[in-house]
Amino acid sequence: MKTKKIVSLILASMLAVSSFAACSTKPTDTQSSGGGEPAQTGDGKQIVDFTMFAAMAGKEKNEGNDIMELIAEKTGVRVKETWLTGQDAGEAIGSIIASGKLPDLIDGGDGSVTLYQNGLLVAWDDYLEKYPNLKEMYTDEEWDKFRMDDGHIYWANVFGNSYDHNTATGHNGEAFWIQVRVLEWANYPKIQTLDEYFKLLEDYAAANPELPDGTPVIPYTCLCEDWKYYCLENAPMFLDGYPNDGCVIVNIDNGMDNPKVVDYNTTDTAKMYFKKLNEEYAKGAIDPDFATQTYDEYIAKLSTGRVLGLCDQYWDFAYNIMGPFASPLEATDGTTFRLDEIGCDYVPLGLTAKAGMSQQWHSYDDELNQSSGCAVTTSCSDPDLAFAFLSALLDQDIHDLRFWGIEGVDYLVDDQGLYYRTEEMRENWKSDSYKAKHSCEYSYCPQWMGMSKDGINRMQPSEQPSEFYEGLSEPLKKCFSAYGAQTYSEFLGSEIVVNAPWYPLWSWSNNISSDTPGGIAWKRMGECKHLWLPTVVMSSDFESDWAAYQAAYAECDPQAFLDEAQQAVDERLATAKSYGWTAPV
Amino acid sequence: MENSIVKSKRTKEVDINKPKLTAKEFKRQWILVAISAVYVIYGIIFYYLPLAGWIIAFQNFVFAKGIGGSKWVGIDKFKFLFSDKTFLMVIRNTFVMGVLNLFFSTVVAIAFAILLNEVKNKYFKKSIQTISYMPHFLSWIIVVAIVHDALTSTGIINDILMRLGIFKQPYAFLGDPKLFWGIVTLSHLWKETGWNAIIYLAAITSIDPCLYESASIDGAGRFQKMRYVTLPGLRPTIMILLLMNMGNVLNAGFELQYLLGNGLVQNVSRTIDIYILDWALDARNMDYSLGTAAGIFKTVVSMTFIVVSNYIAKKKGDERLF
Repeated sequence: MKTKKIVSLILASMLAVSSFAACSTKPTDTQSSGGGEPAQTGDGKQIVDFTMFAAMAGKEKNEGNDIMELIAEKTGVRVKETWLTGQDAGEAIGSIIASGKLPDLIDGGDGSVTLYQNGLLVAWDDYLEKYPNLKEMYTDEEWDKFRMDDGHIYWANVFGNSYDHNTATGHNGEAFWIQVRVLEWANYPKIQTLDEYFKLLEDYAAANPELPDGTPVIPYTCLCEDWKYYCLENAPMFLDGYPNDGCVIVNIDNGMDNPKVVDYNTTDTAKMYFKKLNEEYAKGAIDPDFATQTYDEYIAKLSTGRVLGLCDQYWDFAYNIMGPFASPLEATDGTTFRLDEIGCDYVPLGLTAKAGMSQQWHSYDDELNQSSGCAVTTSCSDPDLAFAFLSALLDQDIHDLRFWGIEGVDYLVDDQGLYYRTEEMRENWKSDSYKAKHSCEYSYCPQWMGMSKDGINRMQPSEQPSEFYEGLSEPLKKCFSAYGAQTYSEFLGSEIVVNAPWYPLWSWSNNISSDTPGGIAWKRMGECKHLWLPTVVMSSDFESDWAAYQAAYAECDPQAFLDEAQQAVDERLATAKSYGWTAPV
Repeated sequence: MENSIVKSKRTKEVDINKPKLTAKEFKRQWILVAISAVYVIYGIIFYYLPLAGWIIAFQNFVFAKGIGGSKWVGIDKFKFLFSDKTFLMVIRNTFVMGVLNLFFSTVVAIAFAILLNEVKNKYFKKSIQTISYMPHFLSWIIVVAIVHDALTSTGIINDILMRLGIFKQPYAFLGDPKLFWGIVTLSHLWKETGWNAIIYLAAITSIDPCLYESASIDGAGRFQKMRYVTLPGLRPTIMILLLMNMGNVLNAGFELQYLLGNGLVQNVSRTIDIYILDWALDARNMDYSLGTAAGIFKTVVSMTFIVVSNYIAKKKGDERLF
């Protein structure tokens, strides 16, 4: 009896404690959905609060953000953006669908097609006619690529779309990146192959094992988490000189009319690349945690400036390390220093399997990714207002507010009408805390790159030639001039080619479902490579592990996938031809 | 003689505890009936009604079409499950981690409770107890962050091992499939031992002190008292908890394995729950039917575990659930 009493007493107290724990999380919940006090637009209308979810890691804006309020006054809409945390895109969208609690606006990433299949998105078609700003984003041919099997358009990809012409100064894609201080130390050598790249990283690390604050350097790291294992996985494609089709190589040796899909996982270059990584791992030049680190750990590591080289796409790491690189740190001797000032900024190297090959790490044209984009959901209380808002975001004055900021505060205009920033303004826009309270890019809503509609400026400061150059740190400027380059893309020196009609093929493989044999093969190949690629890199017996990997890989039936990839290429080619495309001579 | 006493005691108990269900009796106890009815209704709504959703395991369920509109496919989903090598692998992983966890958490919690009970200084004992059950209140995501940090190349474990000269280079603990189950079990022990021990400590306090006194008179030492008095006294509690936890063997975990796993250890880290998440809730697959089928399998196996172990306990004459 006594036992029972005590046990029940304990159980009761457990319950009490756990309900306390549950209660304590509540106030923050209600706060975040509160949305702030009712405000009004300039002409007296009530401001509507929308929510938006982007299936991508991002930074939330503070409530009452300056520019967000300005845009709200002009458009009558304020959007609370939330981002991916912890889950991957597919899981996040899956749980949103299962819960039935949709935001008003959504970028579903890999889950976009599932959102459409479940009838949760509002078609753009009627609104495109109503809002010319939106219609203007793409040509009819391009819009047709967004059409789903019911003939309607449900989203528009917002990235890499240039107004007038592509004015890119950066390299947003993949490369083997290297800190400029390494190149500077070696007196700016020409680096073309993996052997030269790793030798330089090792030599530098041996000569400079520590940062000024005493942190030891890591010559090379590589992210392997979830779908971002492309950092490890797809380099063989680039090393062989092909562009980022992402899932296969499309060989055009027999002409653009006769493309042939090739698997880059089984090429000699693939073996050479992984063997090289294996050697470097054994030498200790590769981060021992590369295979198990999470994205957050990876970014934290890069933010300390201790990683000399890495393979990744620019957007995946660069924006997250700008803030830390621009903040002062204390050196062991008590002086202060900044990582960008001592040359920790990264520049892209267009490595190839053999020296002297041409390569296509950089794509000069806009890449149209029709597999995902900004969408309005059926839960949105006022879809027309949502589209009106998306359209208004493309008005030049609001676009300037989003990307340049407030005139006089964030940028100045010279007598020719050219926008420019002072050093202080530039520093502000590198600071995460300043951006959280002041800037509001709505970065997953429709936007332009390229020339501004005023014909003088660029849509975004990063592409304004004067701004771009002034914004570079001193070591970067020195490095660029040493190699005679003005921009990242010139520095990388990729071959200038017109995009093939099927390019980029990853926009097809991102949306492949596991209903077909090829889709199931794709899923299995992914699981197989997630296991085996880090294994062969860390292996103490590379040859036998490589053979075991190739055997396990063959069991996944990659041919089924390649067949469907070939079919996708052929279909895209046929569509392009029906719009009058002809193979360049 | 002894048997007959026990028997008569039991029949007497039954008489007291089970009065006949008459209108008068019902009227007398209506408040109790009303209170328990709340729980019964709660159980029906939240545990039994949702079981109706199991029928989607026999469909090719599409969210937009609903149960009415989706196509019936019979037991195709179950066929797919048992032909999928990955599913057989996740069953093994779940089962092994569940059993390791059940075994070690029970043994270690009992040992801890007995040892703590032997501590004579009241304040020392209380503070140890409080400290030991604190980690229970941390969420798994925090625990995983701590474990992850501790096991990286620059983490405390590698640091200590290298300082002691046992390792020359940092070892990638989290990337070694052989170590994964051990890491999971140890993390569970770190988080839950103190908490699990509470119930055993409570049970120990209810053991009749006369037994210890007579054991002392008979010349039993400390360890003999633990072995011959405390442990047998704990036996009913241990049995009941073991039986209840048998049903949880296949709930070997989700958060811990999900968050701690990576490509290298995927073949030992993925559990049934992760498999379900992957197939049912991932927007790239969205196969609710397959997820439900896997869930049904899990429930059926768990039920079997409970019934079988209850039967064994009954045979052995131990405490049991039903």
